[in-house]
Amino acid sequence: MSHHHDFNSEKEICDAKNTSHLAVSVKNNRDVMISFNFIKDVNGDTLWVWCYPSVSSDLRKVLLSKCCLTQDGRDFHTFVFGQFCRTWYYITTVEVQEPTALNKVTHFSIVVTAKDFNPEKYAALSRILCRMYIKHGSPVKMMEAYVTVLTKGICQSDENGSFLIKDYDVRKAYLAGSVKDVVSQFGMETIILYTALMLKKRIVVHHPRIEALLEFTRVLPTLTWHRKDWSILHPYVHLTDTELEDLKKCPGYIAGFVDPEVSNRSDLFDVYVNLPDSVITVSQSAKEALAMGKLHKEVGHLIVQSAEDAERSDSQVIKDISVKTKEILANLVALADECEDSKITLEGLKQHHFPPATENFLFHLAAAEQLLRI
Amino acid sequence: MTDPPLERSEDPLAYWLKHQSSSYILIKTSVMEEVDKILIHALKQVGMEASEEIDSIKLFSSELIVEAVVRCIRVIDPGLGNALPTSLPPGMSARFRVGMSLAQSCQDIGYKGEIGYQTFLYSNEPEIRSLLMFLVEKLPRESAQSSDQPTGKSVVLQRAIAAAIKAQLAVPWLPSNCRLPMHCETQSPGAFHSFHVQPLSLPHCTKGLGQKQLKEVKDFQWDILPPVTAQPAHHASVVASILEQHTAELSAAQEWDIEWNSQGLLSRLTPQEYRSRKLNRLRKRIEEQLRSAALPFPESALGGPCSTSDLSELLQNFRGSAPSDHVLTKGTHFTHTQKFTFAQEAAAVTSSIPTGHQSETDIQLHQQEELTSLQQQLQQLCSDVDQLAADMKHMSVTNTQVLDELKHREQRNSEKEEKMQVKKKTIDLLPDSDNNLLKLQALVEASAKRVVNLASQWEKHRAPLIDELRRLKEICSNQDLESSRKLSEIKSLHDRIRVSTDEAKKKEEIYKQLVTELENLPQDVSRSAYTQRILEIVSNIKKQKEEITKILSDTKELQKEINNLTGKLDRTFAVTDELVFKDAKKDESVRKSYKYLAALHENCNQLIQTIEDTGTILREIRDLEEQIETENGNKTVANLERILDDYKAIRQENSALAAKVREG
Repeated sequence: MSHHHDFNSEKEICDAKNTSHLAVSVKNNRDVMISFNFIKDVNGDTLWVWCYPSVSSDLRKVLLSKCCLTQDGRDFHTFVFGQFCRTWYYITTVEVQEPTALNKVTHFSIVVTAKDFNPEKYAALSRILCRMYIKHGSPVKMMEAYVTVLTKGICQSDENGSFLIKDYDVRKAYLAGSVKDVVSQFGMETIILYTALMLKKRIVVHHPRIEALLEFTRVLPTLTWHRKDWSILHPYVHLTDTELEDLKKCPGYIAGFVDPEVSNRSDLFDVYVNLPDSVITVSQSAKEALAMGKLHKEVGHLIVQSAEDAERSDSQVIKDISVKTKEILANLVALADECEDSKITLEGLKQHHFPPATENFLFHLAAAEQLLRI
Repeated sequence: MTDPPLERSEDPLAYWLKHQSSSYILIKTSVMEEVDKILIHALKQVGMEASEEIDSIKLFSSELIVEAVVRCIRVIDPGLGNALPTSLPPGMSARFRVGMSLAQSCQDIGYKGEIGYQTFLYSNEPEIRSLLMFLVEKLPRESAQSSDQPTGKSVVLQRAIAAAIKAQLAVPWLPSNCRLPMHCETQSPGAFHSFHVQPLSLPHCTKGLGQKQLKEVKDFQWDILPPVTAQPAHHASVVASILEQHTAELSAAQEWDIEWNSQGLLSRLTPQEYRSRKLNRLRKRIEEQLRSAALPFPESALGGPCSTSDLSELLQNFRGSAPSDHVLTKGTHFTHTQKFTFAQEAAAVTSSIPTGHQSETDIQLHQQEELTSLQQQLQQLCSDVDQLAADMKHMSVTNTQVLDELKHREQRNSEKEEKMQVKKKTIDLLPDSDNNLLKLQALVEASAKRVVNLASQWEKHRAPLIDELRRLKEICSNQDLESSRKLSEIKSLHDRIRVSTDEAKKKEEIYKQLVTELENLPQDVSRSAYTQRILEIVSNIKKQKEEITKILSDTKELQKEINNLTGKLDRTFAVTDELVFKDAKKDESVRKSYKYLAALHENCNQLIQTIEDTGTILREIRDLEEQIETENGNKTVANLERILDDYKAIRQENSALAAKVREG
C-alpha cells in the first residue's frame, strides 16, 4: 500500500508542475504558449495572419490541416483540439457575420498552443480573444490580453466578467468526459479498452465526426487514473507522414481518426474502435498480450456494475476503477518485493502458478509499470 | 349615236377571249404532256412496269393505274401499301373492294380530292392526273436520303469494295477440285497472304522525340537503313506493315490531339511539360502498384505454386483495387508453419541420400538409428525454437519497457533541467529578494509592454502589407478567372474549328462524290429537256401575262370612253330637254317634238339595256358551254351507267353465290 501511495503523490507533483508552468512562461515563451490565428478571406483564400512567437513549419502544416477553414466545403467546427510533438493545440473558429472592423473576412481561427491539456480553459480564453479580434479588428489588443493572461493569469473581458486561469483546474479537465457513457456504449467490452490502456497498447478510434472523437477519446485515459497521463491522447490525427511519425514515437497511445481508411492501417493499432458501429477489434499481433482471463472478467463486472449504478457519478465510477487498479498494482508490487531489487522476472511469476492468462497479463503489466527486471 | 362604239368595244374582248382560251388550251395540253412524262418517269422509278409506248396518263389502263397507285403508296407508307394488291382481281365485287380500299388509303395519306372506287376502275384523265401528281409529290426525296450517307470519293471506292466483298462472300466455298475458273480468282490459296506485320524503321518517326537528331542516327539512316520495301523479311508483309505503321501513327496523333484539347489545355502547361508530367505520374503509379503488389506476399519468394497467380494478381492490383483482407492476415500462423515444414522436409531428403550398398539388416539398423537421432534432433530443435520464441517475446516486452522508461526519463530530465535553470536564477536573485522581486515584476511588465508595443509596431507594417496582399490576390484571382474564361473560349473555339473542319471536309467529300457521280451519269437528256420546256412555259406565261395586262388596260380605256360618252349623252339630253321644254310651252309642234324626244330617249335607254343584257347572257352561255364541256370530259353519264352495270353485276354475282350457298 505504501508503494502505491508514493505513486500517487508523485503524480500530484506532476500536476502541480502542469499548472505552475504558466508562471514560468514569462521567461521562456517558446516552450509554453503560442498564439496565432489565421483568417479566411472573402475570396476563398486562407491567410496565415499572425503568429506569436513562432512555430516550426511542421507544426504550422499540421495546424493548417486541422483548421476547418482550409478544408473546402467541409463542416465548420467551432472548437477542436489535439496534440502534436507534445504540444497541445486548441483551435477556435468563428464566422464573421455582422459588418465589423474585419471587412473582407468571412471566418477566422485562433489557435492557442500549450503544454497542458485543458480544453475548457483554452476554449474560454480563445472565445475572449475572438471577441476582441472581432471588436477591434487588430491582433494587437488580442496580443495584449494574451500577454496579461501569460503574466498575471487573468484577463479582463469586456463582457461576462473576466477570465481567471485559476478557475480551470486540470483535474476538472481530466474529469470532463463521461466514463459512464463509454461503458453504456460498449458494456463488458470496456474491459478490452481497460486492458489495452493498462498494458500501454495502441488504441485507434474512428468516427466521421470530429466532435464525437474529441468527446470519446478524452475519457479513455481516466481508465488508468493512477497514471494521470493525458500525453498518450491524440484525439485528432490525419493519415499524414509527419503526424504518424510523431504518433509512433509514443509506445502506447489513443489516437482519433476521422478518415475511415485507418481501419486498413493495421500497423497503427493493437485495438481498433469503430465508434459509429460500437465495435472493438483486437489486431492479430496483440491478441496474445490481450488474452482475457478470470481477473479481467472480475474487473469488467466491476466496471459495468459501477457504471450502471444510476446514483454514482462519473468521478465515483473512475474512483471505483482506480481503487481496483491500485489493488492489482499493489499485488504486483508485493510480488516484485519478493524478488531482489524489487523487480519482477518471468521465472519469479511462474513460481506462483497463476492461471496462464493472469500470468501473461501480470507480466505485460509489470513491463508497462516498469517493474520488470531487465 | 352611242351604239357603234359599244358594239366595237364588245368585239375585241370577245375575239381576244376566244383566241386566248384556245392558246391557253394549247399550252395546257403541251404542259400536260410534260407533266405526264415526269409522272411516268417517277412512277417507273417506284417500280411500275409500263411499256415504252405509254407516254401519257390518257393511255393508262385500269390495271396500270392501280399498280402505279399501289406502288406509290408502298413507298410512302409501307405499312399501308403492303396490304394492297398490285393487280385487279377478276370478280366485280372483289374489284369494288380493292377500289374502295385504294381510295381509303389515298385519303389516309392525305388526298383531298374526290375519290371513289370508280376513280380507278373507270379512269377519268384529270382526276387520275391530279391523284398521281399528289402521290408523286408525296414520294420521299431521294436527294434527302443520299445526303444523309457519308460521301466522297473514298466512300464510292469503299462501297465498291463492300459490294465486291459481298459478292465474293455470296459465292459458296468449294473444295479445290470442284472449282471452276471463275472461283480461282477469289478462292485459290496461292493468292492469299496472312496479315503479318513487322515493325518498320522510318526516319521521320524519330522527329517527334527530339528536335535535333544525332549525327550517328542520321548516318545510320543515310547509309545502312534499307528502304521500307526491303525491311520486312517477306515481301508479302510490306503492305501490311506499312498499313499497320500508318494506322498506329494516325491513332496516336488523334489520341494526343483529343487528350490535349480536353485535358492538356486546361492544365495550362506547354505540351512538353504536360508530356513529362504525365510520364512521371505513370512511372510513380507503376512503382506504387508494383510495391503494393509485392508487399502482401513475402512467401512468394519460395517460388513454386504462387508464381502462376502472381502476374494476374499483380494485374488485379494494378487495376486499382488492392484486396483489403490481406492486410490483416499477413504472416498468419499457418503460413509460418508451412514454411517451417517445407524447410525440414528438404533437410531430411538431403541427409537421407548418402546411404551405401550394405546388407539389408545393416541398412535397416542404420536407418533406425538415423531416424531416432533425427527425431531427437528435431525435438531438440523444436524445443530450441520454442525457447527462442519465448525469449524473443520476453525480450520484446522488456525492450518496450526499457524504451518506455527511457522516454519517460528523458522527458523528466529535460523538465528537470528547465526547472533547475529557473531555480538557479531564483537562487541568484535570492539574497536581495524583496528588491529583486520588485525588479523582476517591473521587468516582466516592461517586457510585456514592450512585446505589446512591438506587436502594434509590427501590426502597423503588417496591416498595409496584408491589404496589399489581399488586393494582389484579388487581382490574381480576377486574372485567373479571366484566363479560365479565355481558356474556355479557346476551347469552344477549338470545338467550333473542329466542327467546321469536319463540316467542310464532309461537304468537300459530298462535292467530290457528286462530281464523280455526275461524271459517271449518262448525260440526262430528259432533265435538260424538262428545264427547257419549263423555261419555255415560263416565257409563254410571261407573254400571256403581258397580253392580259394589255387587254386589261384596253378594257379600262373602253370603260372610260363609255363613261365619257354616257355623261356627254346625259348632259346633251338634259340641255336639249330644257330647250325643247321651254319652246314647247310656246309652240304646239315643238310640244310634239318634245314628246318624241322623250320617247326617243326612253327607247334608246331600253336599247342600251338590251345590249347589256345580251352581253351578260352571252357570257353565261359561254360559262355553261364550258361547264358542259368539263362535264362531258368527266364522262359522268357513262360512269353512272357503268356504276349501274357494276351494281347489277354485283347483284348477279351475289344471287349466284346465294344460289350456290342454297344448293350447297
